[in-house]
Amino acid sequence: MTDAVLRARDVHKSYDGLAVLQGVSLEVGRGEVKVIIGPSGSGKSTLLRCLALLEPVDAGAVYLGDEQLSGRREKELAAHRSEVGMVFQRFNLFQNMTALDNVTVALRDVRRLPKADARERAIEFLDRVGLRDKADQYPEELSGGQQQRVAIARALVMRPKAMLFDEPTSALDVELVREVLDVMEGLARGGMTMVVVSHELRFAHHVATSILMMDEGRIIEEAPPDEFFSAPKQERTRRFLALVE
Amino acid sequence: MVASFDTHIFWEVLRSGPYWRGALLAIGLTCSSLGAACLIGFPLALGRSSRLFVVRFFAFLYSWFFRATPTLLLLLIVWDVFPQIWGVFAHNWYTPFFAAFIALSLNEAAYMGEIIRAGLLAVDPGQELAARALGMKRWQILRRVVVPQAVRIVIPPTGNEFITLLKLTSLASVISVHELLTSANEQASIKFSYQEVYGAALVYYLVMVSILMFLQSRLERRFTFRSRARRAPAQLSVPVAHDAR
Repeated sequence: MTDAVLRARDVHKSYDGLAVLQGVSLEVGRGEVKVIIGPSGSGKSTLLRCLALLEPVDAGAVYLGDEQLSGRREKELAAHRSEVGMVFQRFNLFQNMTALDNVTVALRDVRRLPKADARERAIEFLDRVGLRDKADQYPEELSGGQQQRVAIARALVMRPKAMLFDEPTSALDVELVREVLDVMEGLARGGMTMVVVSHELRFAHHVATSILMMDEGRIIEEAPPDEFFSAPKQERTRRFLALVE
Repeated sequence: MVASFDTHIFWEVLRSGPYWRGALLAIGLTCSSLGAACLIGFPLALGRSSRLFVVRFFAFLYSWFFRATPTLLLLLIVWDVFPQIWGVFAHNWYTPFFAAFIALSLNEAAYMGEIIRAGLLAVDPGQELAARALGMKRWQILRRVVVPQAVRIVIPPTGNEFITLLKLTSLASVISVHELLTSANEQASIKFSYQEVYGAALVYYLVMVSILMFLQSRLERRFTFRSRARRAPAQLSVPVAHDAR
């Protein structure tokens, strides 16, 4: 037994012979917020996709609670994916649906909620991200920040055990970053378990329980924010922080 | 001496029974064949990217065979050869119209398969990824997310196919389907008033294609994913600007 919500053990993953993850282990406890930083190509996004059960791992294992889910068949996985919320860099809102339908569709198709219940719950969650009045707008008609907030509501409405964010603000105009970070900060304060790939260091410092540095498919350093920023142990981390700040 | 255009003959031909029937036959044959072609083309399109080699191979074989076979030859084979091979076709119910429907459907399905495949491929892969992350199953993702977005992409080339097919129906005259152009030819050989007879046929084709183009633009608008309030002004904006006289 373990109290970790999400766990990766010695995960390896390669694409076409290119080793993207080379033995990554990670444990995310209930209510923890882990922020992952690292250069592009270091395997951050791939790690998140493995945690979200979107990619099969080559070796190692991914656990949700006490259940090992990596290696299971596609049919079984589909149901478990809804227990982990995923937010993407490019929002990936369904272009053919209104904001409300984006938030409702999985409640109907996956959770099998009746239409009225799904709608009620979706509106409640749109309200939580401050977009109740945009319910009938299509993604094309929303700003990037609004789209990302709808995407967060879409993931939250499934009541996931953990939320994964893959560079949620890096496709946004600068003045729209704040509104998304505010929503995420609110979530963290509410006790949501989160793994966030982001280079918003102020946010990381503020909200994270620990910060992880990835390089070349490995986690090379993990520490609480104060320690991580004031006294990074690895030379690679120091060089990276100097470039990002 | 140039023969003058006789409007009386023109109107008479335009309203004549054979023309009406010919036009209805052409439209009926086109609509039914295109409909069947879409139904066959969709699984063909999916088959082209199947995980199973046999399915991929069959889908490829179909597309290769029916695109390589001339439509005229296929019509003759379906009408003349099918009844010789299979007894079921050697009965009264096997009309020229039905044979033409089979031949044009089989032929057109190969083209529609390619068009639908291109449409499915053109949908942003991020859409499917987001749907998978929510726990939706393959068929749900296709039905709710991918197909509605592919439809928008597929409409314009399908409109082209409709027009091509409408004109191709005249080939069915070789198996004695009395569609519009066959009727026009017969009228011409009876009346020797080529201008009026062919002019009337031209009017029919122009009207049929105009109706199609109107319906197509309606359909395209339906699959443009914007809220109603925003859809209308976008269309009015140009004329309004010029009306300020």
